[in-house]
Amino acid sequence: MKTLIKIAWRNLWRNRRRTILTASAVVLALFLALIMRSMQFGSYEQMIRAGVNQTGDLQVHDTGYWANQSIDRAFFYRKKLGETLHGIKEIKSILPGLQTFSLASYKKQTKGVLISGIDAAVYNKQNHLSNKIIRGKYLNPNKNEVLLGDKLAEFLKMHVGDTLVLLGQGYRGITAYGIYRVAGIFHLPSIEMNSEIVYMNLKTAQNFVYPYQPGLLTSLSVFIKDPGQLQTVKTETEHRIGPNYEVITWKTMLSDILQTIKADNVSGQIMLLILYIIAAFGIFSTVLMMTMEKRRQYAIMVSIGMEREKLVWVSIFETFIISVIGIVIGLILASPIIYYLHFHPIPITGEMAKMYLQFNIAPVLPFSIKAHIFLSQTIIILVLSLLSALYPIIYLSKFNVLKAFRH
Amino acid sequence: MSIIEATGIYKTYQETKVPVNALNGVDLKIEEGEFTAIVGPSGSGKTTLLNILGGLDLPTKGDILIENTNLKTLGSRQLIDFRLHNIGFVFQAYNLIPVLTAKENTEFIMELQKIPKKERSKKAMELLEAVGIADKADHKPGQLSGGQQQRVAVARALASKPRFIIADEPTANLDSRSTNELLEIMAEMNRKYHSTFIFATHDQRVMDKAHRIVTIDDGKIIGDETFEGR
Ligand SMILES: Nc1ncnc2c1ncn2[C@@H]1O[C@H](COP(=O)(O)OP(=O)(O)OP(=O)(O)O)[C@@H](O)[C@H]1O
Ligand SMILES: [Mg+2]
Repeated sequence: MKTLIKIAWRNLWRNRRRTILTASAVVLALFLALIMRSMQFGSYEQMIRAGVNQTGDLQVHDTGYWANQSIDRAFFYRKKLGETLHGIKEIKSILPGLQTFSLASYKKQTKGVLISGIDAAVYNKQNHLSNKIIRGKYLNPNKNEVLLGDKLAEFLKMHVGDTLVLLGQGYRGITAYGIYRVAGIFHLPSIEMNSEIVYMNLKTAQNFVYPYQPGLLTSLSVFIKDPGQLQTVKTETEHRIGPNYEVITWKTMLSDILQTIKADNVSGQIMLLILYIIAAFGIFSTVLMMTMEKRRQYAIMVSIGMEREKLVWVSIFETFIISVIGIVIGLILASPIIYYLHFHPIPITGEMAKMYLQFNIAPVLPFSIKAHIFLSQTIIILVLSLLSALYPIIYLSKFNVLKAFRH
Repeated sequence: MSIIEATGIYKTYQETKVPVNALNGVDLKIEEGEFTAIVGPSGSGKTTLLNILGGLDLPTKGDILIENTNLKTLGSRQLIDFRLHNIGFVFQAYNLIPVLTAKENTEFIMELQKIPKKERSKKAMELLEAVGIADKADHKPGQLSGGQQQRVAVARALASKPRFIIADEPTANLDSRSTNELLEIMAEMNRKYHSTFIFATHDQRVMDKAHRIVTIDDGKIIGDETFEGR
């Protein structure tokens, strides 16, 4: 075996230029594939992270809420529920929320808005909303006040200190009505959020929707420690809190983002396919040439008593060595770039930036350094190259020794 | 008992449009220690005969007994193994694995035979010494002359301790000096190790060294002379 590896190794360096060229094709393909995938997955991860920050990894609702998001599917918070959830080791934090649609008016202007009742302090820790306040102040947890997006404020022609009138459907068919002082005006990257959301303290929202009993919620957003454990935590949570509640993962809640990612991923995969074809073709043609030009040598080896299976190993080693060289160099070249761009993401401008902002995502391109990207690309290239060794394997197990002599 | 006993050998090549009868009933016995030349005009069937004796090709009809083994009875895998342990080969040219040194080439066949490394190395050097190129042991074939390469090929053929060695025109690509040297070496190996050589040749100088000359024409043996005392 050692001699076979030695023969394969020396065979490769007999035609140094061709070997380098072939390995370069592998390097190029792997390099581009890694950069591309890392960029793509990086932006996907970023989109998902931004989304999950809003929704939580999981949300607990009253059963049926997700399918029909009406305020009548709200539920009263019970201490036992909180204790149960906090008792699950994998859960990091829980954010209660109450959301409902309502009409907002100021003087002659009226607009439909989404009221989001939040735990001002915890929510701020999660989303840094106070940093996005451009006028006025962030919510005071003890006051019945609201925060508006700058677009909404512009539409309603409101300023900090003005009084907003909200009118909507409350819990159990009552009419919800309230007037609130505008404490601050925020600017979020997403235009939609700027023109739709009204933030207020959870207590204020609960009072607005149903003043007769405290603790009404539409959702508990659950943040977990290890995103990889999503399914396990979901199952455990469901099991512990029973059938009166539903547990929805971000994958369901952010299905539109996932859809966008999926569509984008297809274009990425087509690019990859092209790269792989280049690499595979490079390896294959080299392997083919190496086999063909050594027909006579192989014939002599079989004549003097070498089994064909051993001959085949020479070809496999040759292919393997070339691809491993290409892979190692490709990894060495791509990794530092990817790591650098992971920690120093490229800023995005123009149309793309707008699209990002619509998803409420900072317009930068962070590269992903997830191991699975490196692993999958490496494995694919390795498999492809070993597939191209199939030709010599088949050829060598069949070729006619005497014919090979005559060539 | 003869080392090789070929009886009633016919070989017809069917691949061509018109089948070619390359051998038409050859009977031949080779004894241990012989130094035999197969001669005859081009196309007379020398290569065909040697390929069949060497187990590289099968006759259309007839039997080859090597010691007590009838080659017909061996499967293709067994045949390869049989060649490895019983038959040495020296081809016309490009015998050697180009990326291995003279010594590695000689050792290679012993490695196939699973002879331990130390013994291989010792034997290889001994044989390279015997064929007179021990000083070139670490040279690759590309750094050796045609004659030197053929001598390494002889060393390799001997390394496997075969029952006999087949050489199809081993000197065809050599000048007269190298031809002489190679023949001298083969003859010496024949004397020293009592190795059996069977070689095909056109070359009168080569024939002059043979102890036995088998003449073949049109796929038939038409002459068989033994020269005592050569
Ligand atoms: N594979 C083959 N297919 C068809 N005919 C063949 C094949 N190999 C050899 N022959 C024919 O068989 C006959 C004997 O060929 P062979 O090669 O044995 O002759 P040779 O004596 O070795 O000739 P040379 O001295 O030129 O090497 C020739 O007529 C040749 O054309
Ligand atoms: Mg011939």
